[in-house]
Amino acid sequence: MKMSLTIQPRFRLPLIVWILLGLMGFAFVVAMVRYAVGIGPISDLSNSYPWGFWISLDLFTGVAIGSGAFVIAAIVYIFELKEFQPLAKPAVLTGFLGYIMVVVSLLVDLGHPERIYYMLIHTNHTSVLLEIGICVMSYLTVLAIEFSPVVFEGIKKEKWAHFIHKFIMPFVILGVVLSTLHQSSLGSLLLIQPTKLHPLWWTPILPIQFFVSALAIGLGMVILESTLSSRYFKRGLESHLLEKLGKAIPVILAIYLVIKFGELIWASDLHYLFSSGWMSILFWLEILVSSVIPMIWFSIKRLRQNPNALLTGAIILLIGMIFNRFNVSWFAIQHPDPITYIPTFMSNVKYIPTLPEMAVSIGIFSAGILAFGLAARYLPVFDNEPEQIQPSVGD
Amino acid sequence: MSEIKQHAFLFDATRCIDCRACMVACSVENNIPMDKTRIWVAGVGLKGIFPNLDSASMVYHCMHCEDPDCLSACPVGAYTKRPDGPIIYDPDKCIGCRYCMNACPFGVPHFDYDKGLIEGAFIDKCTMCPQRIDVGLEPACVATCPTDALEFGERADLIARAHARIQAHPERYIDHVYGETENGGTSYLILSHVPFTELGLPEIGSLPVKEVSETVMGYTIPFALGWSAVLSVVAAGVHLYNQKNEKKSSTEVTPEESK
Repeated sequence: MKMSLTIQPRFRLPLIVWILLGLMGFAFVVAMVRYAVGIGPISDLSNSYPWGFWISLDLFTGVAIGSGAFVIAAIVYIFELKEFQPLAKPAVLTGFLGYIMVVVSLLVDLGHPERIYYMLIHTNHTSVLLEIGICVMSYLTVLAIEFSPVVFEGIKKEKWAHFIHKFIMPFVILGVVLSTLHQSSLGSLLLIQPTKLHPLWWTPILPIQFFVSALAIGLGMVILESTLSSRYFKRGLESHLLEKLGKAIPVILAIYLVIKFGELIWASDLHYLFSSGWMSILFWLEILVSSVIPMIWFSIKRLRQNPNALLTGAIILLIGMIFNRFNVSWFAIQHPDPITYIPTFMSNVKYIPTLPEMAVSIGIFSAGILAFGLAARYLPVFDNEPEQIQPSVGD
Repeated sequence: MSEIKQHAFLFDATRCIDCRACMVACSVENNIPMDKTRIWVAGVGLKGIFPNLDSASMVYHCMHCEDPDCLSACPVGAYTKRPDGPIIYDPDKCIGCRYCMNACPFGVPHFDYDKGLIEGAFIDKCTMCPQRIDVGLEPACVATCPTDALEFGERADLIARAHARIQAHPERYIDHVYGETENGGTSYLILSHVPFTELGLPEIGSLPVKEVSETVMGYTIPFALGWSAVLSVVAAGVHLYNQKNEKKSSTEVTPEESK
């Protein structure tokens, strides 16, 4: 088998770093303009579309792709499948950085970012957003604790790392509980819009659908992030571990599909599957890419054992699931538009994200990649040193 | 039951002449620039063929729901409902998340998209003029309405009045008072001669849209506790089981590889 581990002599530092820094700088300028003159001038958000690109990409997608951390933490620490240990640290790092990116982007999106701590002092217990806010803040702390041993090892304070390791279990469990809560609550966030979200997506069990899909996304992210970092940081690929993770994906997706279509049958919404025009097309496209294709893909052993095919499958899965998050939080929501004097409720209001709007997200994402690169370089994130790696072919 | 009067509006679409004096009165009373008006007049435009033309318009502002969704959605509790009806927004608590705008099925709360951090971007919406009703006056929009399309009073009285008007002129009205039950009841009641959807009003059942969301939120704490317990037990169980196995097969070198 031709391994794609052809090791580059050196991580091409200057060019990539310059590009990333440039994108970050542009995002920073846009953010400053936004703080000076408001959200309106730089984005297409309006009273009809209070939430748009930032929420769909940074919050919904950002949190979803952060799920790798808790999935791996549960596998390694709760189910004690210690063989997956090498995947844990990078996954926790990805989650940690991902959640920081979520918070940073919310600081741009919020009208009053300086008041974000109000969520801790003026609490309204019926608000789903409050639960998500508190869960994300707490989980960020948990991830910091989970990742801290790596930092301590990096600065040669092994004693501290050992100390944290001793008490890691409660934090792992807390992390999994917090993740379960806010991964599902992202779905609950839309429950308050039964009149706006299309019935193909709106269901009381949105939180369950979100949680199950987050499990699949988590596994997909671990595959993606391990494969990519093995290529760029000249280290071996734990392909036998990833193959095993891939084996679980069809099972999760089958459950997901049963839940999704079971609900449609139960709510007798099946007729929308073919009668809702664009919405039906979006729905079928989403189901196909997020579930059906990956389910078949990961069921085929030959594809699972080929690192490139495994990566491709993970990318298809992630694209499909991200498409689901966009559908739920943006494409399938119809907004009222009383201010334009168009009488029809849910009229044809348009929202097209602007370039500066996207630049903010891209800049924050660049910062995340840069931070991952720095951490991977200067901290012992990857257990295996290159010389130890024996890319195993099957078990 | 309670002695506190539930204030409410009654809007009669057959009386509205689309003069928009209410918008001006509101902006003057509450000192709001006209482009940030708290009232919109939605019009269906002309309908029908020449001599039989018809038009309808609707004065649109906060419905002051009996069981408000904005209040349920706001993470920091910036919304309160006064016992006598008005839903009041507190800009000092608002973090600008705009979730209330998503939550409101009527699309009422509006945001200052043109204000930066220093000026402060806030939500704005109709307040039912508490400064006026507290001294026994009607809200500015009602006081200024030249055709009595907008009326103000106690909610129960207005519902009775609306039904009486429908009964007196069944040929003129659709036999329904919008807001009597919609979204759990609103303090803005509407009579119309054209279908309510044509006036820009959403079709909502008698349960507030927040119902499912609040029910699910109610499970959060019990679920979190139960799930923590389950995970702890599983983790402990797996750990004990593995320890036992390790002891049994302590002579073997690689217990990990066995499967």
